[in-house]
Amino acid sequence: MSDQNDPMAEIRASFFIECEELMEALQDGLQELDDGSEEPETINVVFRAVHSIKGGAGAFGLEALVRFAHRYETVLDEVRNGSLQPDSEAMKLFFLAADHLSDLVRACRDETELDEATSDELLTRLDALLGEDGGSEEVEPEEFEVQGLSLALDLPDLDVDDTEANDSTLYTVRFKPEQELFATGNEPLMLLRNLCDLGEATVRCNFDDLPSLTDLAPETPYVEWIIELKTEAAEPEIRDIFEFVDGLCELEITGPQGEAAAPAPDAPAEEPPAPPEPAAEAADPAPAPEPPANVVPMGNKEPPAPETAKEPEAEKKPATPAAKSVVRVDLERIERLVNLVGELVINQAMLSQSLDEAGLSPHSDAMNGLEEFQRLTRDIQDSVMMIRAQPVKSLFQRMSRIVRESSAAVEKEVRLVTEGEATEVDKTVIERLADPLTHMIRNAVDHGLEATEKREELGKSRAGTVTLTAAHRSGRVIIEVADDGAGINRKRVQEIAANKGLISPDAQLSDSEIDNLLFLPGFSTAKQVSNLSGRGVGMDVVKTSIQSLGGRITINSEPGKGTTFSISLPLTLAVLDGMVVNVAEETLVLPLNVVVETLSLGPDDVQMLRPGNYVVRWRGGFVPLYDLGVMLGYRSHRKTDPGSIVLLIVLEDGSRAALVIDGIQDQRQVVIKGLDDSFYRAPGIAAATILGDGQIALILDPADVISGMGHIRGTDLMLSERKIANE
Amino acid sequence: MTEPLVLQPKLDLPAAAPLAEELKARLDGDLVIDGKEVTQLGALCLQVLLAAAISLKGKGHKMTMTHFSDKVVEQMAQMGFSPETLAEGRA
Repeated sequence: MSDQNDPMAEIRASFFIECEELMEALQDGLQELDDGSEEPETINVVFRAVHSIKGGAGAFGLEALVRFAHRYETVLDEVRNGSLQPDSEAMKLFFLAADHLSDLVRACRDETELDEATSDELLTRLDALLGEDGGSEEVEPEEFEVQGLSLALDLPDLDVDDTEANDSTLYTVRFKPEQELFATGNEPLMLLRNLCDLGEATVRCNFDDLPSLTDLAPETPYVEWIIELKTEAAEPEIRDIFEFVDGLCELEITGPQGEAAAPAPDAPAEEPPAPPEPAAEAADPAPAPEPPANVVPMGNKEPPAPETAKEPEAEKKPATPAAKSVVRVDLERIERLVNLVGELVINQAMLSQSLDEAGLSPHSDAMNGLEEFQRLTRDIQDSVMMIRAQPVKSLFQRMSRIVRESSAAVEKEVRLVTEGEATEVDKTVIERLADPLTHMIRNAVDHGLEATEKREELGKSRAGTVTLTAAHRSGRVIIEVADDGAGINRKRVQEIAANKGLISPDAQLSDSEIDNLLFLPGFSTAKQVSNLSGRGVGMDVVKTSIQSLGGRITINSEPGKGTTFSISLPLTLAVLDGMVVNVAEETLVLPLNVVVETLSLGPDDVQMLRPGNYVVRWRGGFVPLYDLGVMLGYRSHRKTDPGSIVLLIVLEDGSRAALVIDGIQDQRQVVIKGLDDSFYRAPGIAAATILGDGQIALILDPADVISGMGHIRGTDLMLSERKIANE
Repeated sequence: MTEPLVLQPKLDLPAAAPLAEELKARLDGDLVIDGKEVTQLGALCLQVLLAAAISLKGKGHKMTMTHFSDKVVEQMAQMGFSPETLAEGRA
């Protein structure tokens, strides 16, 4: 009956998306707990995340997921109610369980094989946290049996001092699902099961409103359940079960009847408040669903229960975030919108060019209208890009798992510190960053940080720190992976590079040049190949991946203090503010953000360093000068005449260069059109774009142009500065 | 004796309407419901079965429920029924 047209498939897909969000909340909460948060809400968030995953999984019959989540939740509940104080080992286990839960969710989503062995191993360890009788806490969803309510309610002695001895309370829960509850993939069966897990329960179904089969709308619920529940749980816990169907059902919870579960703290022990004549009613094995005295509709914050029950509820309130209206949209639809906006930008450029060529006055209505059109296009562009932008938080959370796993593999103590998780980056960039970042983190743990004992010898903290940072800087996204390890052993790096024939043995390299040797294909400094990294396929692949995103990677390392890898990425892969220039009768586009100044060369501005190598005088210093036409092979070398136009560019690593061009056409937004694999990968060319006249222009990657074809290194430049200064 | 109605394995939301249609076509005599393949019984399908049982009872026919696994019997119990009470249209 349920096949491809299964409407449940969509709900199921949305459940898995929600799981991603819940896993994020779970990781956040665990991290806060690990950082020493004593805020009660933190453990509530953690508990609820697992609980909600369990609830949803149950609705889809994902038994293995339910089983794991249930027992994980049981342990978390112990932490929540204060019976268990997790130490650092327990926290590690909680993180592992969260990681595994995430794996289970993915396996269920992708319908791949579940790792039951790991489930069992982790569950055994989780049960151990509960003490000897921990295992008996376990309530397999399948194992539930409806139990008769022991109504020989031996009413407690109402001895106030004896609060611990018998604090079971009798609740009557009326639950009537609404149609939306099913439509959102929930199933009353799971809720009833969870409710019964809380204690002794009698479930009765009231189907008075059920029409005859011929009149029945099969997808409309007509029945309700009345559950008599005797439990030690407080009312908020009962309410928690229905948390994820809030608003999708009618829920009434009748508080304690006749049981002085929580007398007022100052009530005299001898004279408890008169219980509302309840015993007879409670003794009725099938009590009528009459409206109870203290009915609390779901969502009402005032529980009927006594003070003790009120507190957790009150605490819980701030946790429920203000409802934020969110629409989930298929990524394909957004991609289509992005492409359309790209076309709009091209179209606008074409229109602009047509009007220019028509020789209209800049003050004409048409030109004014065009300006407005350009502004609107830009706004639409920005708004569409905002839709695709996502915080890097989910990516960072994945990295925290990589740190846990890799540190365990090499037996090092490592702490991951993340900063700037809210930094937003284009979704496509985030997805493609996962692999390179994983490799960099592993490298930092494996090679960057010293062994624990070594750190102690050096007077460093036992645990190494890996810091992952994201920030927006000058229109780009900067992501840094830093470790507080030994720093790059430059002598050794140079030795290895020389031994492998990557550089000449007597090469004079600056620190930065030595560091960059790490990016050479096949380079590996690890003496032993570990199963983590060090197979020599690392950093060059990382560099290539980053470059394919239009990004760049740089290294900064200080002996004894650590190494920082910085990735600089464009905010989006779709559009770019560019400077359109002419070079040797070709039209090229340079990213505008690298151009800091345009110069017209004066007669004494250019100095020859050695034949073919020139520098240009700029603000009291010298900057290497390159003829873009020569570098790109458009023309042979020629003398740079005074009056030539020069673009001064500054790259992320702070290096500067002056590029000789023939003319500047315009500054405008251009749509990036990737050059697919069928094109030869030309150094220095990042992508292409379509200009207003329909002409195709290449977009340059200035850093690649300089690094691939530059002849003047920083050391040369310093020498030249000295030489010229001495002259 | 009429052929038993063999229920689908997963009796969830999408299964409710087809099940109701099948049952509507079988209200003219005693009905045997075979649950040998059922792995999951959701509330909506339970409700359909209950409505069918009440309708059959009203017409003087009998509904019998057979071959339900322990797991599914437990699921019924969690919703306040047993195969027998469900077949008789009572809680």
